[in-house]
Amino acid sequence: MSDAIEAALQATPAIEIKDVWRTFQRLDGSAPFTALQDIRLDVRAGTFVAIIGGSGCGKSTLLRIIAGLVPPSRGTVLHEGKPVHGPHHSRGFVFQGDAVFPWLTVRRNIEFGLQCRGIPAAERKRTAETWAAAVGLADFIEAFPKELSGGMRKRVDLARVYANDPDVLLMDEPFGALDAQTKERMQVELLGLWDRTRKTVLFVTHDVDEAVFLADEIVVMAARPGRIAERIKVPLPRPRDERSRVSDAFEETRRRLRKLLEDLAPATTPAR
Amino acid sequence: MTRPTDDMNGGAPSRRARWLAKYGLGFLTIAVIIGVYWLYTLQPQANRTLTPPPPKVVAAFVAAIADGSLFVNIGWSLYRVVIGFAIGTLLAVLMGCTAGWFRYAGYVLNPIIEAIRPIPALAYIPLIIVWVGIDEPARILIIVLAVFKPTVVNTRQGMQEVPRIYVEAAEALGASRMTTFWRVGFPNAIPYIVSGMRNGLAAGFLALVAAELIASSNGLGFLISNAGQNLQIDVVLMGIVVIGVVATLLDAIAVRAQAYLTRWSEVRQS
Repeated sequence: MSDAIEAALQATPAIEIKDVWRTFQRLDGSAPFTALQDIRLDVRAGTFVAIIGGSGCGKSTLLRIIAGLVPPSRGTVLHEGKPVHGPHHSRGFVFQGDAVFPWLTVRRNIEFGLQCRGIPAAERKRTAETWAAAVGLADFIEAFPKELSGGMRKRVDLARVYANDPDVLLMDEPFGALDAQTKERMQVELLGLWDRTRKTVLFVTHDVDEAVFLADEIVVMAARPGRIAERIKVPLPRPRDERSRVSDAFEETRRRLRKLLEDLAPATTPAR
Repeated sequence: MTRPTDDMNGGAPSRRARWLAKYGLGFLTIAVIIGVYWLYTLQPQANRTLTPPPPKVVAAFVAAIADGSLFVNIGWSLYRVVIGFAIGTLLAVLMGCTAGWFRYAGYVLNPIIEAIRPIPALAYIPLIIVWVGIDEPARILIIVLAVFKPTVVNTRQGMQEVPRIYVEAAEALGASRMTTFWRVGFPNAIPYIVSGMRNGLAAGFLALVAAELIASSNGLGFLISNAGQNLQIDVVLMGIVVIGVVATLLDAIAVRAQAYLTRWSEVRQS
């Protein structure tokens, strides 16, 4: 790639969030609740960004607005310079819950997005087999999801999103429902997939260790009203593996992040 | 070291023993009922015309097979059920899917569904006789109504209860609104639809016999009502047993179809 093209790529961020607000009407008719207040954020192409914050800081809402699943009350989100209106296959979304379609086999699940875009059957088949193998499910390609464990279903979900070849991956606590061991294994696998493709990732989590292990940059959000409080770089070298979790850089970033989150947490009255 | 035995499931009866118990005990129940009835018919004061002993019923069965009339009557009844079931199911699935998925279509169609829902299909018979007549279309229309009701209600519910996460996942993967309707809403509703169809088939068969009782010159309902008017109680009893067997076989086919169509579902079907 020439330097000129590279410079151009650097110039236009993959995602630009411009003065985004989101308010929700309260049921009792009192003043609306501000879930997101004046969010501004640029995400450069190819970076892995984690968004972290306590409950009620609006991190999931922000991700859903970027996806186009929820409209902002004010402001715009630009993807490759074009405003987001509704969901699009170029922005893949991984949910916390189990979103794998139970009525389709693993193969048909992975092919779903390709089929929506009219990709011919032969190419769909090839792509599905490639991604099923990439997540270690080659032997289960004709299985229905009910035959798979929670971790395996999450792999199907990742394969389905990756097979659709989006520019940006939006992940909303994707491993939040998994047990601790499966979660750590999935994090390593996700980094493996990310290394292969270097797609832009926005990863919402409330797990400090997860954010530090995965991300290049961590956006820290605060609640009431939901806003961006801090952005910190993660000085961990890549590629990362299990050893990264015990390095000094990991420990230091982790401590810093914990301190930040503690300071941001609403003051609670001490129990007596 | 203990040797492994057949009893690998902690003292619970084996599948084979369970199967034997299920069908053996069921068969025994029927046998006892027939036996008690048979004993009664052997009493000297019993009327052999009004309460024919089982061998007379079997003889009526053999005679109906020998002259082919039983097959003709079964054939007519099955023909009506199949046609009525097909039309009723098609209408119910189309209307239920539309009403359950598209809000404004629901506003338009729900009054029709709610108006039909509480009324038994048989209550329409007088109206159908006056408006449609007593010919084949009238009989099939009654079956269509009976089949339509449970299927449309179930289909609509299945479409309404699709988890939001599936719809959002499909949209984020690039599905259009119609693709989401057809490839997410509809498959999600399949367990509801086939369960409704199974109830519809049973209701349709019930309505058919009633329809044939009223105005027909063939079919299983006609067989019973005609024999009753001629005081051939052995033929009536034979007809009732045949209807029971045919209905059971139809349901067995429905159960098989249901098991196949919902093989992906985690919810165990009854």
